Amino acid sequence: MDANLPIAAASQVDFPWLSLIVLLPAVGALLMPLLPGETKYSGSELPRNLALSFLFADFLLIIGVFSQLFDNSLHEIQLAERISWIPLIGLEWSLGADGISAPLVVLSGLITLLSAAASWKIKSKKRLYFALLLVQASAQALVFLSQDFLLFFLAWELELVPVYLLIAIWGGTNRQYAATKFILYTALASLLILISGLAIAFSGNQFTLNFTELAELKPSGSFGLLCYLGFLVGFGVKLPIFPLHTWLPDAHGEANAPVSMLLAGVLLKMGGYALIRFNVQMLPTAHLQLAPALIVIGIVNIIYGALNAFAQDNVKRRIACSSVSHMGFVLLGIGAIDALGISGAMLQMISHGLIAAAMFFFTGSFYERTNTLSIPNMGGLAKVLPITFAFFLTSSLASLALPGMSGFISEITIFLGITSQENFTSIFRSIVVILSAIGLVLTPIYLLSMCRRVFFGPRIPALANTSEMNAREMTIGLTLLVPTLVIGFWPRAAIDFYEASTNTLAENLLNTGITTTLKSLPIG
Amino acid sequence: MPSAAEIAWLIPVLPLFGALITGLALISFNRSINRLRKPVAISLVSCVGLSAAISYAVLAEQLSGGPPVEHLFVWASAGSFTLPMGYLIDPLGAVMLALVTTIALLVMIYSHGYMAHDKGYVRFFTYLALFSSSMLGLIVSPNLLEIYVFWELVGMCSYLLVGFWYDRDGAAHAAQKAFVVNRVGDFGLLLGILGLFWATQSFDFQGIADGLANAIASGTVPTWAALTLCLLVFMGPMAKSAQFPLHVWLPDAMEGPTPISALIHAATMVAAGVFLVARLEPLYSQFPSVGFVIALVGTITCFLGASIALTQMDLKKGLAYSTVSQLGYMMLAMGCGAPVAGMFHLVTHAFFKAMLFLGSGSVIHAMEDVVGHEPVLAQDMRLMGGLRKKMPITSITFLIGCIAISGIPPLAGFWSKDEILGNAFNTFPALWFIGFLTAGMTAFYMFRLYFLTFEGEFRGGDKELQLVLLSAAGKDEDEEADHQEAELHESPWSMTYPLIALAIPSVLIGFLGAPWNSRFAFLLNPAEALEMANSFSWGEFLPLAAASVAISTAGIALSVFAYYLNRINLNKLIVQRFPSINSFLANKWYLDLINEKIFVKGSRKLAREVLEVDAKVVDGVVNLTGLLTLGSGEGLKYFETGRAQFYALIVFGGVIALVALFGVFGGS
Repeated sequence: MDANLPIAAASQVDFPWLSLIVLLPAVGALLMPLLPGETKYSGSELPRNLALSFLFADFLLIIGVFSQLFDNSLHEIQLAERISWIPLIGLEWSLGADGISAPLVVLSGLITLLSAAASWKIKSKKRLYFALLLVQASAQALVFLSQDFLLFFLAWELELVPVYLLIAIWGGTNRQYAATKFILYTALASLLILISGLAIAFSGNQFTLNFTELAELKPSGSFGLLCYLGFLVGFGVKLPIFPLHTWLPDAHGEANAPVSMLLAGVLLKMGGYALIRFNVQMLPTAHLQLAPALIVIGIVNIIYGALNAFAQDNVKRRIACSSVSHMGFVLLGIGAIDALGISGAMLQMISHGLIAAAMFFFTGSFYERTNTLSIPNMGGLAKVLPITFAFFLTSSLASLALPGMSGFISEITIFLGITSQENFTSIFRSIVVILSAIGLVLTPIYLLSMCRRVFFGPRIPALANTSEMNAREMTIGLTLLVPTLVIGFWPRAAIDFYEASTNTLAENLLNTGITTTLKSLPIG
Repeated sequence: MPSAAEIAWLIPVLPLFGALITGLALISFNRSINRLRKPVAISLVSCVGLSAAISYAVLAEQLSGGPPVEHLFVWASAGSFTLPMGYLIDPLGAVMLALVTTIALLVMIYSHGYMAHDKGYVRFFTYLALFSSSMLGLIVSPNLLEIYVFWELVGMCSYLLVGFWYDRDGAAHAAQKAFVVNRVGDFGLLLGILGLFWATQSFDFQGIADGLANAIASGTVPTWAALTLCLLVFMGPMAKSAQFPLHVWLPDAMEGPTPISALIHAATMVAAGVFLVARLEPLYSQFPSVGFVIALVGTITCFLGASIALTQMDLKKGLAYSTVSQLGYMMLAMGCGAPVAGMFHLVTHAFFKAMLFLGSGSVIHAMEDVVGHEPVLAQDMRLMGGLRKKMPITSITFLIGCIAISGIPPLAGFWSKDEILGNAFNTFPALWFIGFLTAGMTAFYMFRLYFLTFEGEFRGGDKELQLVLLSAAGKDEDEEADHQEAELHESPWSMTYPLIALAIPSVLIGFLGAPWNSRFAFLLNPAEALEMANSFSWGEFLPLAAASVAISTAGIALSVFAYYLNRINLNKLIVQRFPSINSFLANKWYLDLINEKIFVKGSRKLAREVLEVDAKVVDGVVNLTGLLTLGSGEGLKYFETGRAQFYALIVFGGVIALVALFGVFGGS
């Protein structure tokens, strides 16, 4: 391996901003063991405050870097850093951001910060808990920013550990089962990712792990298809796609609310990000061939997830199933193989990240007061918790894609993307749009019936003595919902961030000499 | 000084601004803002008032022949696709703006009295402002997609307001039903919008109509597909304007506070469907068969609503079914290719029906002081009677409303309904006949409502009857038992003043649409108005008008004999002889039952089955795989010891080792 590596796109920046974003939380995690132990100072809030300040600083840094140094009119990788790390195995510390990673880094920075703020009342093993949150923050930023396959993969694996532990130690009664299921699923999926990634890396004339160089290889034929399938299953577990979704309701059902926020707000987005980065960008030929299959899986996700959600009797499991349903739209958007569809898929990820995190947060907030998540045992909460009710209802309305909220923009963009994709036959498009629009009817059924059974109706005496949300909780809630509203009213606020990149992505897709491939498909 | 149309974007923005500020304040400083009732109400009323002022200026401009104004900006984009949003001011929009702001303003003033004792006073006003904003936004929308945006938003406001008293189970169910049924309609609307976009690359009303005509002419879009798209779009108006079979949500929506029933569920939002069909006139006028479907749906709705209204004992439900029926008339007009007539009925109906609902609210308000806040009691006409002496203003305005809706000249309803029936007579005579019969039924059930409520002896003191009604509704004996036994009294000025204000247009506004010189038609469609005025002949007009007046009078007469003079006992005469008809009507044509059995229970069952499959089959396979992977129960035992976190590290370490291995291999 050559030590003087070429920089693919932009010239190297003078300061490693992205490394700073990645490493700052990890530094905080390293400081954690130095804090006084918990036996004497069990009341100490130092770990929490330390984590909050590091995450807040990291979030400010993210905002600063992406608003000042990042030019969203360019589609290339920016702020690139590339240092050979372990030349023996070709591993590089190679970071960079484009319009696809940048909004997700901002999103995950925000969600992690709020998740730490939502963990205000963690009682046991505070140092470990907050250290894990910080490690998670570093790992996920690395996932979104790394431009080297092995680095990406290490980050992908690294991030599993804190989530696993967060569920397994601070979860509900059935936490061991849920955490084990999570780790088994994702670890096995990782294997497929690794194999597919390395297979592509070896497929060129020269071994490379760099994303940009990998993307230029453009493997096609059955080799490309196999790699594509490997990635699809591997990342599909995270998204999740049917039938690899069953870990999600368990994980959400057992995790505490802040960890659920992370799961829904960040982890699922990693799946969608990786699908766009690898399946769409690196394997365009295979993607064009399999796009209709992706759409079909997306439809199954939407309807199957919604029906499952309707039958769930636990608030968090119901929201978890609704995530499965909403992520189906991401698949649909990616499968639409045009600028509208991919743009919609990006926005759907951002939007769902905010909304689902909000819903889990509010759920956690009233769970602390009622100690139950079982829908049949609740009712009339609005009478005692009117503000929680207002917040929860707002996020439910956002989740059912009400106009004026971000979810509407993303779903309508995806619908338009499918509708205007001339490479599919009219009949295929009609069926897809009709079936996925059924999701729009099912969503209010399961969300509003949950609101009705939990909040409406006469007060239940057992739940009468509860106190309303405090200022901290309201701030967290507003921080999640205000961006949803802003994007809903002014979608360009989000779209401008990634439009250049998604447009280029779609153009590249259609320039791959593919129209022939498409037309030869039975449904193309 | 800019022209009013240039600042028309302020019309929806002002109330939105007010609603957002109050809404945020309600969340952040709940207690203190709830104490500031008057200042909040005044500022929100002034927001809507300002919008009303601009709307009147806009209408005046359009009346004096101002050109239509359209302003657009790019709202969202991707690739070569751009989505324009903005606002459009034309005569149709100007009329609706003036109508909606007027009624919203009066309803807000009324609400000050009606909601005076409610804890949610401030929240109610916030919702009202939010609704006004969405409704006004819908009216000024220049394209279908923007209409869809506001369409859903008014639906949300309706959801929030129907469920306003969230501690009532009935309200909770009604709100959900309203939203879900409307989503079913929106499902069709959205598909239609997408399909029309696919066919024409446009969201613009005229653009769609021209594009579709071209596409059919050039053969790129088959006619059946075009027809399907038109009908899919029509599903939206069907749900929003409570057309059969998607009308089921509207009567239930009466669980909301009465001012809401007047504003949203009688005068404005439910008329949005009719308005949308009028907006799409360039599209629908190309397809006579679509017009026939619309007219047919309208006629069925019109007859169904009136027939169910015949047997209702709940004052508000009676008015609700009357609204369903009148919306059917409007749709019938749209289907007959007479959007001007339909819009005219929309306007006149908005005034007198809002007045009737506010009147019923005034009655309920008074009844609540006697029988308590249980709607089963306060709204049942069996407990009313003789209210005229105690509530003179309410009873007179209610009577004016009854005459207006019955189509007795010269009140407003006569002109607009007669115009619709005249159009129907020329286009679809069979449908005209049903509409004609319905006019008689309308007169009958409206006067039945009036007589049962305001004439005869007051029956509210009958405790036995109260118990019977409560147990029939499946409710316990009123646990609150707050029967103050207060005297019936007329409502405060804030409630009676809007009634009087609405009575004036209910009487007079019809003259604007007199068929020989219809100023209304001249504003909306000068060419059509001219043709109408030229082709007008007394010989054609008089027989039809005389016939409708005759059947209305017959309806009123029957009502007088049955409920005022008590000469005819309808119970003996009809109910006992034809019990099946009566129970058919009393059970609302069994539509709610069918809905409950098939859709509600069916979807629940399906969902449960899917979850079962998910838990047993999909997850079962996973668990089985997991077991096999671990080899034996030995591994599981290890997890249960609580030290499973090490497993994660083992996996992690293993992966790193694997990476290193591959790396070495790759480097060689």
